[in-house]
Amino acid sequence: MKTYGTEPGAPTPVQVGISELVVSDGDDTLKSYGLGSCLAIALYDPQSAIGGLAHVMLPDGDAADNSDRKPGKYADTAIRALLRRMVEQGANYTAVEAKIAGGSDMFEFESFGDGVGQRNIAAAKEELEKLGVPLEAEDVGGEHGRTVEFTPGTGSLVVKTSDGDDENGVTEL
Amino acid sequence: MKLDVNALGTFYRMAREGAGIAAGRLTHMMGVETQVGVTKLNFMRGQEIRRDFEDATEKVGVRVKLTGAIEGYSVVVFERESAFRVVETLLAEAGPDAEIEGNAGETDEFDEMTESAATEVGHIINSGFIDGWADVLEAVIDVSTPEFVEGVSAEPFFGDIDEAPGDDDLALLFQSRIETVGTEVGFNHYLFPKRESMSKLLERLRTSEGIEYDKLDGFDRMAERGAEEVAETATTLTGIDTSVEIRRLNFVSLEAIPEQVAEEKLVGVAFEFDGMPSGYLLFLFDEESAHEIVDAMVPMEVDEDGFGEMGTSAIKELGNIMASGFLDGWANVLDTTIDHSTPEFIHDMGAAAVDPVIIQLGENQDFAFVFDTVVVADGREFDCEVYAIPDESDLERALNNLDVDRIEDAKTTAEFQEVDTT
Repeated sequence: MKTYGTEPGAPTPVQVGISELVVSDGDDTLKSYGLGSCLAIALYDPQSAIGGLAHVMLPDGDAADNSDRKPGKYADTAIRALLRRMVEQGANYTAVEAKIAGGSDMFEFESFGDGVGQRNIAAAKEELEKLGVPLEAEDVGGEHGRTVEFTPGTGSLVVKTSDGDDENGVTEL
Repeated sequence: MKLDVNALGTFYRMAREGAGIAAGRLTHMMGVETQVGVTKLNFMRGQEIRRDFEDATEKVGVRVKLTGAIEGYSVVVFERESAFRVVETLLAEAGPDAEIEGNAGETDEFDEMTESAATEVGHIINSGFIDGWADVLEAVIDVSTPEFVEGVSAEPFFGDIDEAPGDDDLALLFQSRIETVGTEVGFNHYLFPKRESMSKLLERLRTSEGIEYDKLDGFDRMAERGAEEVAETATTLTGIDTSVEIRRLNFVSLEAIPEQVAEEKLVGVAFEFDGMPSGYLLFLFDEESAHEIVDAMVPMEVDEDGFGEMGTSAIKELGNIMASGFLDGWANVLDTTIDHSTPEFIHDMGAAAVDPVIIQLGENQDFAFVFDTVVVADGREFDCEVYAIPDESDLERALNNLDVDRIEDAKTTAEFQEVDTT
């Protein structure tokens, strides 16, 4: 959901909705709610504290004709768009690290084939590998939903499950 | 008049674009953060639109008449309290000289100043939407001077508009919600286009053969029959008296579907269905309702936390029979058969249950028709949201195969029950 009039450093977390990506150089928290098979991809440069979060829905943007307009929708194009925007804001490409969370397979439907979540995870890993971005941490797969909060300034990616009120439902990557 | 997904997609983009511009201007004017909530294209009958307004809250609206590329009416509707809060913020921004007599929060009548401030806000929002549409359409839309309306029913808002749909006419309604962040100010926006103007636009935007507009009646009948079957099944199985509270056919971008699901842990049952059309069907309950259902269906005590094996299987059983009823309702209208999978149980964040479905559909489509239904019980906790999301091309084919005359024969007995919201 897009918020209008958000001040940098505002205390409310910036919502990163499905198919969206946000890059920030402040202490903002970027939040994606209720990921099932969708994947959250967080990239950050620990030196410049510039980072971004993408909430991707599908694996392969190169095969889709609208990926120019909606790079955040696809794992591959979202990673490239995040990197490009971070570098434009002053991040150092070679220092950038990645963390990912999500990609569950909630249902075993016939039409889902090998699993829609697995396809997203595989695509993200492949693209990161191709671009030489190290994957520092991951909390992926399984059969449960996740809400993530990413703080580019510290590189902290907090993953909550629906049992998130007690301690065992929260993981910090 | 014919429509297709491309034309509806353009309409949807117009609504999003317009909501964005309106929210931006509202932020600028009030100095507060604003958010665009769910934007939808609804296909609704006149009687449902009127019913929507009759929730006993007092409303304030600002409406303008449109001519040019779109003809019809654009109406911004606030809850009365929201309107006062907006006016208060606005006049406070304007400086101490503009202070409202007494205190705006306690005033219950609009005086000249507050009315003109509310009208101004409404007009700025209306203009934001209209500028957004004009941008997307690359055409000129002319706007009349704004008119201030207040009341508790639809009558003062649409009663005198010729374009407003009759009780049984299916209208395409643009609906958006904008909220301020932190404070509870929100409003709804409605656009009632004139039928001929719509028809001309659709003709221009359509890129495929499309669906005859009158066949949308079939959609509505499907929704009606499906919803009715769900409520009946639920009542039979649980002994809880349930009725259909909301039944709506929306056209939305796939990404918007999980956004409209409650941000809490829900209990659900999901199915894939196969036939003409194929697609996905989800029943979502809040935890309290799910417990109530288990209590009603399982005679013995069940453990408090979670749902256990007994509880899970009771909910799956209910879901399974509701799914059969729902899809039979559709199949009946479409004169076909639709099979569904075994139920998948879920007890997790609501959005997480919906996103796999939109991902799967997202391989081939950007938008979806969502059959949105809410079934409630009088006096007891039983809230069930039903999301039926058919594959788009299947649905188009199914509708085109539909014999419109046959629809008339299909029984339509779904009745709405007024729910006490006090």
